[in-house]
Amino acid sequence: MLTIIARRLAQLPIILAVIYSLTLLLAWKIPGNPLENPEGRKPPPAVVEAMKRQYNLDSFPSFYLSYLNNATGLKWLGDRLSGRAAESRRLAEAAGQAPPTRYIFDLGPSLKNPDWRVNQIIADSLPVSMTLGLAAILIALVVGLGAGVVGAIRPNSFADLATLVVALVGISLPSFVIGTALVLIFPVWLGVGSIGGWGRLGNLVLPAITLSLPFAAYIARLTRMGMVEHLKADFIRTARAKGLPESKILLKHALKNAFLPVLSYLGPALALAMTGSFVVERVFFVPGMGQHFVNAVLNKDLFLIMGVVLIFATMLILFNLAVDVLYRWVDPRID
Amino acid sequence: MLRLLLPFLLLAAAIAATVLSDRPQPPADFTFINRGDVTTLDLQKMSWMQDLRVARCLFEGLVRHDIFSPDYDLKPAVAERWNVSPDGLTYTFHLRPDAKWSNGHPVTAHDFVYSWRRALLPDTASDYTALFQKIAGAKEFFDWRSARLADFRPDPGDESRPLHDTAAWRLWLETERRFADTVALAAPDERTLTFTLALPFPPILELCSFAVFYPVYPPLVRQYERPDRRSGRLDIQFGWTKPPLIVSNGPFQLVTWRFRRDMRLERNPHYWNPAAIAIDSIAIPSIEDPNAAVLAFRSGAADWLSDVTAPYRADILADKLRFYAEHQPDYDALRAQGLDPVEIDRRLPPDPRAHVHAFPAFGTYFYNFNCLPRLQDGRPNPFADPRVRRAFAMTMDKERIVSQVRRVGERVASTLIPPGSLAGYRSPRGLPFDPPAARELLARAGFPGGKGFITVELLFNKDAGHDLIAQSVAKDWETHLGVSVQLVTRELAVFKDDLKNQNFMISRAAWFGDYGDPTTFLDLNRRDDGNNDRKYADDDFEALMNAADREPDADARSELLSRAEEIIVERDLPLIPIFHYVQMCMFDPHKLTGISSHPRQEQNMYEIDLFGDGKGRDEPKFIGGSTE
Repeated sequence: MLTIIARRLAQLPIILAVIYSLTLLLAWKIPGNPLENPEGRKPPPAVVEAMKRQYNLDSFPSFYLSYLNNATGLKWLGDRLSGRAAESRRLAEAAGQAPPTRYIFDLGPSLKNPDWRVNQIIADSLPVSMTLGLAAILIALVVGLGAGVVGAIRPNSFADLATLVVALVGISLPSFVIGTALVLIFPVWLGVGSIGGWGRLGNLVLPAITLSLPFAAYIARLTRMGMVEHLKADFIRTARAKGLPESKILLKHALKNAFLPVLSYLGPALALAMTGSFVVERVFFVPGMGQHFVNAVLNKDLFLIMGVVLIFATMLILFNLAVDVLYRWVDPRID
Repeated sequence: MLRLLLPFLLLAAAIAATVLSDRPQPPADFTFINRGDVTTLDLQKMSWMQDLRVARCLFEGLVRHDIFSPDYDLKPAVAERWNVSPDGLTYTFHLRPDAKWSNGHPVTAHDFVYSWRRALLPDTASDYTALFQKIAGAKEFFDWRSARLADFRPDPGDESRPLHDTAAWRLWLETERRFADTVALAAPDERTLTFTLALPFPPILELCSFAVFYPVYPPLVRQYERPDRRSGRLDIQFGWTKPPLIVSNGPFQLVTWRFRRDMRLERNPHYWNPAAIAIDSIAIPSIEDPNAAVLAFRSGAADWLSDVTAPYRADILADKLRFYAEHQPDYDALRAQGLDPVEIDRRLPPDPRAHVHAFPAFGTYFYNFNCLPRLQDGRPNPFADPRVRRAFAMTMDKERIVSQVRRVGERVASTLIPPGSLAGYRSPRGLPFDPPAARELLARAGFPGGKGFITVELLFNKDAGHDLIAQSVAKDWETHLGVSVQLVTRELAVFKDDLKNQNFMISRAAWFGDYGDPTTFLDLNRRDDGNNDRKYADDDFEALMNAADREPDADARSELLSRAEEIIVERDLPLIPIFHYVQMCMFDPHKLTGISSHPRQEQNMYEIDLFGDGKGRDEPKFIGGSTE
C-alpha cells in the first residue's frame, strides 16, 4: 500500500510539469492584452512595455522559467538558504518599509486585479468551493444511492422509471436552467431560503442541490446497475437461503459491492465539484473558484489561469489517489 | 457497515467545520450592487467606473461635484478655497485644517504632491497619466524618466549590495530631484498646494474631483514602493489597498474586502464633515450575473443596483411605463411642474414597478470607420473617403435601433457629446437620416447604386446585443445603398486586438466621458491619441483643437470645440454616433434618497439617506430641490 502511495506521489510533479507546460503554451496564445482595460483609456505604449517587462510577459521562455521558479518554491528556498530573505526583511525594517510578503509557492500577481496575489485569491475562494462541492457530493451520494437501490429492488417498476427520469433530467438539464428555476421557485415565488451569497448555512442549500444533480444522477445509475447485477449473484442466493432479513441482504451484501464503482467515480467527482462550477457560482453568486477558470481566460490573466489549473490538477491527482487507497480498504480483495 | 458510513460522516463534518468557521457580517445601513467587482483601490492606477465609485466613498479630493445642482457645480472638499491666476495657468488651493486621514493625521498638501507624482511616474502605469501632463514640465518629466528607465543598466554587483548603494536607488534619488525641479507642482506649506499649467485647461479644476487626483497616504504607500535593482523601475508592491492597512481620507473607511465576495465600508471617525453623512455602513456584495443582480434587488438583498444589464431590462422599463399610465393624471401634473424624475416617482404611490430608473448618461454608442487609405489586407479602403462615410451615416435608421432594438428610452445621437450634458456647450446638429442624399454622395464617390463597392465587413464583439444593432444597420445599408454587408463577430479580446491593429472596416464602439469638458470626447479623434482606433487624422480638426488648447477665454474655447465637433459629426464622420446611453438602475425612491438623475451619472454613496432610519435629515435630494 505504502509503495503505491509513494509511487503515485512521485509521479505527481511529472504530471504537473506536463500540465503546466501545455496550459501555459495554450494560455500564452490567447489573444488580447491583460494589461489593458477594455473600457478605459489606453495607457501610453511606454507604460505597457514597462509593465510587460515587469511581469516577464515579453518573452515566453523567461516567463516559463520564472513562474516555475516561483511556483515550485525553489525561489523561496533559495532566498532562505542564501540569506536573501532575512537580509531584505532587515533592510526593509531599517528603511521603515513593509517587509515583502513571501509565499512558499508563489503563484504570482493577478494581472487583472493588481491588488491581489493569486495565492490570496485561491486561499479566499477554494474553501468556499470545497464546502459547496462537499455538500453537493454528500447530497448526490444520499440521493443517488437511495434512488439506485430503489430502482434495483423492483426493476421496471414505477419507482424505477421515476428515478430513471429524474436521473435523465439531472444529467441532461444544464445547471443554469436548474439553478435559475430553483431561485425562481424558492426565494422569489415562495419566499423560502436566500437568493444567493455566502456565509450562512441557508446559502448553501440551493447551490449544493443544483451542483449535486448531475452527480446524483450518475451515482444512481451506477448503483442501480451494480445492484441489479449483484442481486442475481450466487452469494445473494446463499444469503437468502441462510434466512437473512432482506434489508441486511440489500445493504450489507449487495450495496456494499455495488458501491465500489461509485467509490472510484467519487475521486474525479470530488475534484470536479470542489474546484467550483462557474455556472452555479454565477447563478447563486457564490464567491468560489469556478468563476476564475472562465474569467481568467477571458481576461488573459496568465498567473490566475496557471494558478487555478495547477490547483485543479493537483486536487484531481490527490483525490484519485485517496479513492484508490479507500478502495483497497473497503474491498480487501484488491491489492 | 461503518466503512460505508465513514465517508459520509467525514463529508458532513468537513462541511460543518467550514460553514462554522465563516461567520457572515451584520447587515449594513445601505447595501448596493456595483456594476462590477473592484479591480484596484490604488487611486492613481484606477480607470474602471466601479473602482472610481468606491474610491469616492473612501477618499476625498480637493473639490467635489454637487451632483444635485443642474450645472454640476464644484464644491470645496479638502480644499476650503482656491484661486486661479488671471492668465488661467496657476491654481492655488488652500486646504482645510480639519481634513484628516482615517488614522487621525492631517491631510497635507505634500500628500497631494506625492500622489500626483505617482500618477506622473511611468512606473505606476496610470491610465490617466496624460491628464496630469497638463501641468507644466510634467510631460518632460514623464519622458525623461521613461527614457532613463529604457536605458537603465544596473552596476555590476548591485544584486548583492544594499538597496541604498545601487544604480537603481541613485536613479530614484535623481528622479525625485528632477520632479521637484521641473514639474510646476508644489506645496509651499502644509496647507497650500499650487500648480501651473503649460497651457490653459479650464477642466483641470473639476479633474480635481476625479478620483485619480485624490491623495493616497504617503507614509503607508511609501512602504510598498521601492526601486527594483535590475530594471530601475519603482516596484509597487500589493497589499496596502486592503484592510486593515489601508488609510483613507474620505467619509468612509474600508473594513472588509474579500475577493469577488464583498466589501464593507464604515464611517471614517476622523472625517471633517460628519454631519453630511446619513449612513454608518455600506455593504457591497459581489454579484456579477446581471439576472442574479436583479433578483437580489427584488428580494430585498440590496437597496440600489447601480447597473441593470439583464437582457429583459426593456421589459422592466415597460412595466414602469404601465405604472405611469395607471396614474396618468397625477403623473402629468407632476411632470408639468418640471420636477426631477426621481422626485416624481417619490410623489406617486409606492409600487415595485417604479423601482427601475433610466437616466440619460454621459456616454455615446457609435460605429468606427477605418480611415486609413488601405485596409489591413492591402486593398484600397473606400472608407478613406469622407463622402462614403457620410453616405453610410445618413442611411442608418437610428430611430429603429433605439425604439425597436434597445427599447430603453435612449436618445438618437447625431453628435458624439450628449447634448445638454455640459453647461454652456453648443452641440452641432449632425447629419440627418436622408437616403436619397446619401445615394447621391456614394455615386459621386464612384459607387453609383453601390456598384463596385467591396463587401462591407462590420465588426463587433458578441456580447450585450451588439449583434442585433449590427443586423439592423446592415439591413439599412443593403436597402438604401445597395452594398452587401457581412457581420463579423469576435470574442472581446480578439475584437480589441483587431481594433488596435485597424483590422476592420467598420466596428462598434462606445465612449463615456471622464470629466465635464468636450475634450473628454473630442480627444478620441486627435491624430496621436491612444484611443484613435479609426486612425483619423485631419488638419482642420487638429488646428481647432490646438487653438482651443491655447484659448484662455472659456466661451471662445467652447465655441472652438463646438466647431471641432462639427467637423467630426457633419463633415468627416470618422465615426457614426448612434445613440446616447441611458443608465438603468434600481432603487425605491420611497425608501432612500441620494441618487442623482444628472446626465453625468456620478453617484456618490455618501449622499445616501434612508428615510425614517433616525439618521440624517430624511429630506429628499433631487435636481431642482433644496440645495445644501
